[in-house]
Amino acid sequence: MHELYGLLTGPLAWAAFFVFIGGSLYRLATMLILVHKKEKFIFTYMSWKYSFRSIFHWIIPFATTNWKKHPVLTIVTFAFHICLFLTPLFLLAHIVLWDEAWHISWWSLPDSLADMMTLVVVGACVFYLIRRISLPEVQYVTSASDYVILLIVAAPFVTGFIAYHQWLNYPLFLNLHILSGEIMLVAIPFTRLSHMIFSPFTRAYMGSEFGAVRHAKDW
Amino acid sequence: MRKHGLGLLTVLLLMIFFLVAAHSQEEMISVDNSIFPNPERVASVFEHEAHNEAAEIDECNECHHVYEDGVKLEDESSEDMLCSDCHQIEVSDDQPSLMQAFHANCKGCHRSEKKGPVMCGECHRKERGGD
Ligand code: HEC
Ligand code: HEC
Ligand code: HEC
Ligand code: HEC
Repeated sequence: MHELYGLLTGPLAWAAFFVFIGGSLYRLATMLILVHKKEKFIFTYMSWKYSFRSIFHWIIPFATTNWKKHPVLTIVTFAFHICLFLTPLFLLAHIVLWDEAWHISWWSLPDSLADMMTLVVVGACVFYLIRRISLPEVQYVTSASDYVILLIVAAPFVTGFIAYHQWLNYPLFLNLHILSGEIMLVAIPFTRLSHMIFSPFTRAYMGSEFGAVRHAKDW
Repeated sequence: MRKHGLGLLTVLLLMIFFLVAAHSQEEMISVDNSIFPNPERVASVFEHEAHNEAAEIDECNECHHVYEDGVKLEDESSEDMLCSDCHQIEVSDDQPSLMQAFHANCKGCHRSEKKGPVMCGECHRKERGGD
């Protein structure tokens, strides 16, 4: 287990971050080049003002018609994304490791709070799963990869929760936790999880088109 | 006279035996974490004597060290002091914080020796260790 832990926290961690950052930059660059080649005119009406106006509306719960139409989904989605980002970034154990490896450190969440935020993420994943299975209009646009993505996102949180509480086989679950986190990082640029990179751009584009061209709201 | 001597010796030996036995019951089994204002983790397991015997550490100052002008003094040790007597909770310019000191000391050796625990929960064990 220790050799595996060394491998996972050493070379594989480097590889995962390399693919995550490199892959994200690559996807961004190819996207911009493609737009430049095929639809250059988009740049003529891209506007900071309308871009940020749109982004601003969409990152506030219930600030758009779409958010208002689906109140439960909205609450779950916001809670999910907030916990999804804050928990790993401000988890004490992660900060201890950053500190030991790079001598950098920042503010951390109390473990008990991080524990609850983990449950929010896992709970939201269960909600999304049930929604996919039970709502015909959602099932219609669902493919197998959507389930795989849900699994990729839920796995680091489920295994991390089990490892933190030291249930079952602790070293095994800690290693599974690290491995699943690395799989998630690698998956971000190359799956639909890439909306993490692209959503500000699509939102900015929509905002600009609606604001500057159609003179309408896109929220 | 001889008989009495033997009896006395037996009693003495028994007393020493029980003293040692009683003493070893109070032996350190974990590193006290009460110095930390709000400990987040269970105190780390550390059976002082058994650990150092199994790990074959002969020098006390492998851990209980003394520094002068940034240089470790090879023939001095500080086992009469707590780590927290010198290492503050917060990081200072020239010294690791208390948590960093423990982790660098314990994990650092385990890592370089490729023996002993390096995962959080192997030291901060929920089912045992102190409180
Ligand atoms: C692997 C590291 C390590 C080594 C080697 C080591 N100690 Fe310790 N010792 C500790 C730690 C950690 C503490 C707890 C200090 C604290 O709480 O700040 C401690 C505490 C002590 C204490 C006081 C606490 C008590 O309740 O027992 C004594 C006395 C002591 N050590 C003596 C020794 C002697 C003598 C040696 C050499 C034969 C030695 N130690 C070697 C790590 C070590
Ligand atoms: C008498 C004061 C004193 C005590 C007691 C003390 N330290 Fe230190 N320690 C220092 C100083 C000073 C330094 C900084 C050395 C330097 O300049 O790099 C240091 C550095 C360290 C370092 C980093 C350098 C290294 O040796 O790897 C670790 C780790 C460490 N201490 C752990 C401990 C632990 C664990 C204990 C308790 C068992 C302890 N210290 C007790 C004074 C002390
Ligand atoms: C100089 C090297 C060294 C230092 C310093 C050291 N260890 Fe160890 N430790 C070892 C070695 C070697 C082993 C494996 C011993 C064996 O073969 O069983 C070990 C084993 C352990 C174990 C496993 C034993 C068990 O009961 O499962 C624990 C727990 C442990 N160390 C805790 C600590 C803690 C806590 C500290 C710091 C206060 C520390 N160690 C400092 C070398 C070290
Ligand atoms: C080799 C044993 C060892 C390992 C592995 C280890 N620690 Fe520790 N840790 C200690 C010791 C010894 C202390 C000193 C106080 C105590 O007993 O908890 C400590 C203190 C702490 C503290 C400060 C006291 C508190 O409870 O708030 C935190 C936080 C902590 N460790 C977190 C971690 C995390 C997170 C990991 C994994 C990334 C980890 N430790 C791995 C031995 C270890």
